[in-house]
Amino acid sequence: MVLKILKDWSGGTNKLERFWLLAKIEFKLRYYENTLGLIWALVKPVSDMLIYYIAFDLIMKSGFPQFVSFLFLGLILWNFFVESSTGTIQVLATKKYLYEYTNMNKIEIYLAIIGSNLIGLFFNLCMFFIYFVLFEKKDEAGIPAHISWQCIFLLPLIFNLAILSLAFSLILSTLYIFAKDISQIWAIVIGLAFWISPIIYKPEVFNNSLPGFNYINPISSIIINARSVIMFHRLPDWNLFGWGFIYATFFLLIGLYLLNTLGAKAAEKL
Amino acid sequence: MDTLDEKEVAITARNISKKFHITEDSHNTVKQRLFRMFNPPHSKIVDALKLMSFEVKKGECFGLIGRNGSGKSTLVRMLAGVYPTDTGYVKINGSTMLMNLGVGMSHELTARENIYVSGSVLGLKIKDIDLIFDQIVDFAELKDFIDTKIKFFSSGMLARLGFSIAVNAGADIMFLDEIFAVGDIKFQEKAIKIFEKSWIEQKTVVLISHNMDVIKNYCQRVGYIKNGNMEYIGEPETAINMYLVDNQ
Repeated sequence: MVLKILKDWSGGTNKLERFWLLAKIEFKLRYYENTLGLIWALVKPVSDMLIYYIAFDLIMKSGFPQFVSFLFLGLILWNFFVESSTGTIQVLATKKYLYEYTNMNKIEIYLAIIGSNLIGLFFNLCMFFIYFVLFEKKDEAGIPAHISWQCIFLLPLIFNLAILSLAFSLILSTLYIFAKDISQIWAIVIGLAFWISPIIYKPEVFNNSLPGFNYINPISSIIINARSVIMFHRLPDWNLFGWGFIYATFFLLIGLYLLNTLGAKAAEKL
Repeated sequence: MDTLDEKEVAITARNISKKFHITEDSHNTVKQRLFRMFNPPHSKIVDALKLMSFEVKKGECFGLIGRNGSGKSTLVRMLAGVYPTDTGYVKINGSTMLMNLGVGMSHELTARENIYVSGSVLGLKIKDIDLIFDQIVDFAELKDFIDTKIKFFSSGMLARLGFSIAVNAGADIMFLDEIFAVGDIKFQEKAIKIFEKSWIEQKTVVLISHNMDVIKNYCQRVGYIKNGNMEYIGEPETAINMYLVDNQ
């Protein structure tokens, strides 16, 4: 299904334009509705970073060099996953107007929402890089924070994150058709997942306390490798990198199956 | 039933049927499912559409008539690909648009945004929507409200906008479910004129109506549905007579 859409996009249809139009409108609905408008998209990550700086650097004195960047990068990626999964649970109900009157493929709606979230992620990453390069302290070896060529690996990691988020978005929103309280259940799962993901912990603390969780938790590999390539100027851990894509593909297949079976009944059940 | 050359066919429906499961309560949360696992709520199966097969030709205006609750709207939703079939399959050759009292629009968007989204969903490129944009706005008589969110529109304004998008953007196959109930008399006259000019001559149309004059004037073939059963497909006169007898 996804391959067919990509083929359509490269052909002469309007699907690529439609994807961009829907993604832009989704983004606008999220940010422009606020009084601060588009500025909010930039203010939010800056204010987050300021809070982490005050909490972890000034007050708690974490003692971990570049901890604000370390934490902020983890949270940006985590929040993308949460927004794309939790935020789309009711998408088949709220976007019913898009598929109830035409034979538009529902997967396009999901792709547009992921696209919209990617615009938000782009803003967050811009703010992160500005802070990291201009304001972050030197690392343990005394080298100032800088951007290296390994950052290029961030692109496949974001692609991995987008597939994983799309997969969970498909799974949760199709289950919602038959189980309206899935959002409450997912809130518990996501709350637990936050604390068993390497977001706020130092890497060695996480590894010692929860050995093997890097491989069990599908989002761990993305966060760990993103920090490696951006902050520590290393190549990704290829084992984790591979597992990340295996998990994302596995869940995407489940999501697509559910969309074709349960999702087909969305118009009559919702 | 004659089988047509595939290139001439807009819609093929083969052995399609539809049942609805109606339960006493909503029974749609995990909690309810767990607590009522051994005591499920009573459910009733309604045969909304019984087994049927037919084709609609390209460029044809195909009428669907039948009493309220006979299954016309369910059938149209299945043909348009909105509802899945329980048995058989529907093959659609082109983009489709289902229209009853308007087309799908988001109340959180402005009229302008809805025009672009609907046009795009119907398969138009942005530059094509740019070309027909003024036509859509003029026809809907909404020039002064184009950047207003449609949640502030009256039902008449909404209906006019929906109709205008449908008229000007259109799709290869149009499913029109009682569309002439839209707007005031002046707008209805305009709607009928545009319907004759741009849909009847250029599109494949599946038309549901209780107005037998509309069916007689525009449809080349008519299907008569009774209690979910396609009783007859063919000459409009015969189908209309069957419908009128059923109404006596």
